[in-house]
Amino acid sequence: MEITVKVNGKQVTREVEGRTTLSTFLREDLSLTGTHIGCDTSGCGACTVHVDGKAVKSCTLLAGQVDGCEVKTIEGLAENGKMHPLQDSFKEKHGLQCGFCTPGMIMLVSDFLETNPSPSEDEIRHALEGNFCRCTGYHNIVAAIKDAAETMSA
Amino acid sequence: MSFIGKSVKRIEDKRFLTGKGKYTDDIKLVGMTHAHIVRSPYAHAKVLSIDTAAAKAHDGVVAVFVGSDIEGIVGVPTGWQVNFKNGDTMKEPAHPLLVRDNVRHVGDAVAVVIAETKEIARDAADLVEVDYDVMDAVTDPKKATAPGAPQVHPDAPNNICFDWELGNPVEEVDAALASAHHVTTLEFINQRMIPNAMEPRSAIGHYDDALDKYTLYTSTQNPHLIRLLLCAFVLGIPEHKVRIVSHDVGGGFGSKIFHYTEEALMVWVSKQINRPVKWTSDRSEAFMTDAHGRDHVTTANMGFDKDGKIVALKSDTFANMGAYLATFAPAVPTYLHGTLLQGLYTTPLINVNVVAAFTHTNSVDAYRGAGRPEATYLLERLIDLGALEMDMDPAELRKKNFIPAFDGIEQPGYQTQVALQYDSGDYQPVLDKALEMVGYEDFRAEQKKSLENGKLLGIGFSTYVEACGIAPSAVVGALGARAGLFESAQVRVQPTGKVSVYTGSHSHGQGHETTFVQVVADKLGIPMEDVDLIHGDSDAVAFGMGTYGSRSLAVGGSAIVKSIEKVLEKGAKIAAHKLEASVDDLDYAEGKWTVKGTDRSIAFGDVSLTAYVPHDYPADLEPGLDFSSFYDPANFTYPFGCHIAIVEIDKETGKVKLKRFIAVDDVGNVINPMIVDGQIHGGLAQGIGQALLEGAIYDEGGQLINGSYMDYTMPRADDLPSFEIDRTVTPCPHNPLGVKGAGEAGCIGSTPAVVNAVIDALWKAGHKVKDIQMPMTSERVWNAMNN
Amino acid sequence: MKLNGDHVLKAPRNVVWDMLMNPDQLVKITPGISELNKRDETNYEAVSEVKIGPVKGKFKGDLELKDLVKPESFTLVVTQQSKIGNVKADVVIHLDEVGNGDTQITFDGNAQMSGLLARTGARVVSGVANSLTKQFFEAFDKEIELMNT
Repeated sequence: MEITVKVNGKQVTREVEGRTTLSTFLREDLSLTGTHIGCDTSGCGACTVHVDGKAVKSCTLLAGQVDGCEVKTIEGLAENGKMHPLQDSFKEKHGLQCGFCTPGMIMLVSDFLETNPSPSEDEIRHALEGNFCRCTGYHNIVAAIKDAAETMSA
Repeated sequence: MSFIGKSVKRIEDKRFLTGKGKYTDDIKLVGMTHAHIVRSPYAHAKVLSIDTAAAKAHDGVVAVFVGSDIEGIVGVPTGWQVNFKNGDTMKEPAHPLLVRDNVRHVGDAVAVVIAETKEIARDAADLVEVDYDVMDAVTDPKKATAPGAPQVHPDAPNNICFDWELGNPVEEVDAALASAHHVTTLEFINQRMIPNAMEPRSAIGHYDDALDKYTLYTSTQNPHLIRLLLCAFVLGIPEHKVRIVSHDVGGGFGSKIFHYTEEALMVWVSKQINRPVKWTSDRSEAFMTDAHGRDHVTTANMGFDKDGKIVALKSDTFANMGAYLATFAPAVPTYLHGTLLQGLYTTPLINVNVVAAFTHTNSVDAYRGAGRPEATYLLERLIDLGALEMDMDPAELRKKNFIPAFDGIEQPGYQTQVALQYDSGDYQPVLDKALEMVGYEDFRAEQKKSLENGKLLGIGFSTYVEACGIAPSAVVGALGARAGLFESAQVRVQPTGKVSVYTGSHSHGQGHETTFVQVVADKLGIPMEDVDLIHGDSDAVAFGMGTYGSRSLAVGGSAIVKSIEKVLEKGAKIAAHKLEASVDDLDYAEGKWTVKGTDRSIAFGDVSLTAYVPHDYPADLEPGLDFSSFYDPANFTYPFGCHIAIVEIDKETGKVKLKRFIAVDDVGNVINPMIVDGQIHGGLAQGIGQALLEGAIYDEGGQLINGSYMDYTMPRADDLPSFEIDRTVTPCPHNPLGVKGAGEAGCIGSTPAVVNAVIDALWKAGHKVKDIQMPMTSERVWNAMNN
Repeated sequence: MKLNGDHVLKAPRNVVWDMLMNPDQLVKITPGISELNKRDETNYEAVSEVKIGPVKGKFKGDLELKDLVKPESFTLVVTQQSKIGNVKADVVIHLDEVGNGDTQITFDGNAQMSGLLARTGARVVSGVANSLTKQFFEAFDKEIELMNT
């Protein structure tokens, strides 16, 4: 089937198989390899992207389902060469180590902070429930999110 | 310019934060094909026949291979040989790339399908018909050695790989235990863990027939060792014709140290089809085939005199090897576990026995800490339980038994009863600091009070010592290592004074691109922007032994320092020539050589330019400024620390809530505190995960029944508190940076602290339970309280 | 996994026995089964489609009736293969007369699973088995009711 999607602000039209997931479409067809695949049961969240502004796990969605939608991936988060505050805070607070879960984390939280701009630690930890990090023990991810929330609401 | 000791933000972060990291599965090569491996659904079965006709006929399939197609290739070897205590050689059955006769664990590779796309390969793999004759399986290492147990390999009777012993004669230890005032006995299982690096393993084989050269892109912690094993032991291809590339690797935790069959298989397949071929594990495959960790069944006894001094320790362990020996497997329960059973106590008599057993399960090898968490768990459970049984304070009991402080310079290193000699240690300050952070006396008062209100609070301690940077080569060779355990580094000063550093260490989250650059910039007195680190490519880096065992900075960093010293020594000769002074009259600081007592100086960049444009140059000196070094350490390094957990147990449900976690670690000198803290945090989460949440479950038939993220409970953000951490600094006396290693400490210390806290809570509430099997689920804790 | 339970059917033992031995009846009442082809008196080929928690598969394999003691008991041996894993089950079934012309069916056995089914389905499979058993007996009750009217 043919789909037309606006990805990181650019319109693309591609032929895809019915079974192609959004994550595979982004990685294989568009070479946007910042979206990672860490599992096969929607359990790890490494593939999180925005579809029409909402964070979704792109391995759980078929490419065909996003026909006509706007998709934003980690590659499209920085605007005009300026990093998103979360990207800065993750660096500042050492919220990443191997980097594999990082794009999913940031895409998830950039949506979360839209709905809850000044979350408590408990709220942050609950918001992260669907995304695994095996390196950081989440300690510095939580610190980075607090830091970004402060920057963004300042 | 001083960078050592500063929390410099990481250089590597930018690419990860913008989605530009380059993991193996991100690589696309022209003409690349895709592999899917057909794996056994049974733990133990004879392969009667494999019908690949339908798969081969499927549109888009390039080739299908089975075990009998791989002529003359025995399989992947193990890297350590540990012998029986009677001197007999350990049993070392072959680990074939694709099985030829029997499958020996769920996930054993039976066939590989190569196709134009990943999806076609998977579709066609479903068409491969394998006829199995299913047999009984055994998964428990103790049961595996019992008479009549199903046999994994015909040439390993009773499934015993080796039966190994270390320490004082068992008769002496038994006698001391028999006459001890009190003996604490514990039988426990240190359960099997699944490492779960977030990036699934991936390997791309690329044979270039025009150059007769092979490239293997692989997600490994250990590129050069993979090349050595692949070339010399598996495929028999010349080492200079093989390049191993491991760009960004998404976590390892031990599971990516080893040379896996899939790596050799992709290289071999690529030669057969003369095209590149990629295999990327899905998570389900990762659960089945990434080497697992721990899995010990242990009985241990600790004897005390009437004052609480430990008089003897005896431990008997059955260690699960899985069906095949992975690269470090024999070393983990022996030289990385038995040798650590002195702990930080003055125990005068120690006997350790380890029986390593084959079972119908996936291979077991090093997982974060590798043997040392098992040793710490054994010791720290025993001493905490001993304190409860003798009605003594667990902190005081430890203090009574601590080895007195020694710095390894003024005072000699501490010779243990179990082969190792500790380099330096000062144990009481970490405990004192942790007690202060936790507010120990207040906590005990709160605990008593909360019990009156029906709440179960508990505190658990763990004081540990571990051994990092496995070395030196001569010693590990004597212990059965089939490789040296040094590290290499090259510091290449470019003509303009910019520096490229090549290291054999491998970074997969540890931040070497920052820490190593801090060391180089600091020692050379130049900006960090002027230094770049290159790793993970065997064509760029001369040699390497990879990253594991918290060895990178202690061994790899030391090799870099050696090269820097050579650069500065030669640079001084050039500077002396240019300044018309004697080398002895020069000082080097802030990136320039200065004639002592004058303002005459020459900058580092001018010296390097002179080295490459040697018009006016010392007569007896070669041009260039580029040095390689190999560093083989004098000893292991021995970090230590104290971890304290505070838990609250819900009486009605048995649910354990980890309320606080305090860790005071001493990892020697610290180059980047921010990164060291991050390493500790991550280790803590994995250690706490073992205590409360994680564990592989094989059923009796050998099926892994929690092989997905819906079933295997890895810690999520809301399972953990924020950690309270601090450190003391006792420098390593035998390496130039005085560093010890921080990668595993968090994981080694934390597990027993959590379990001890739960046991403490139960005892204080009147439930005198000795052990709760990890992970301590609500069900298990509830049963412990109610049965 | 253990499989056991019992159920009282409102039909005499001989009738229940005959229904259990009749493939057309069995296809009607067994959830998920789409085909049951008789090979001989005690061996059938079975095709079924079952969703077990997160995984769904089309199963194909054998169904054997063993140790037949008419009309009291028999053993059912089921071997089913699928792309998501295989199942082997051994179940002993007893039929007892419990008065009023009713028959109690008691079953007791073991099922072993392999592959993806074991890895990702094991957590929920006993729940699935219970609900399938429930559906089976409900359908059985209905068939008997139909027969009696």
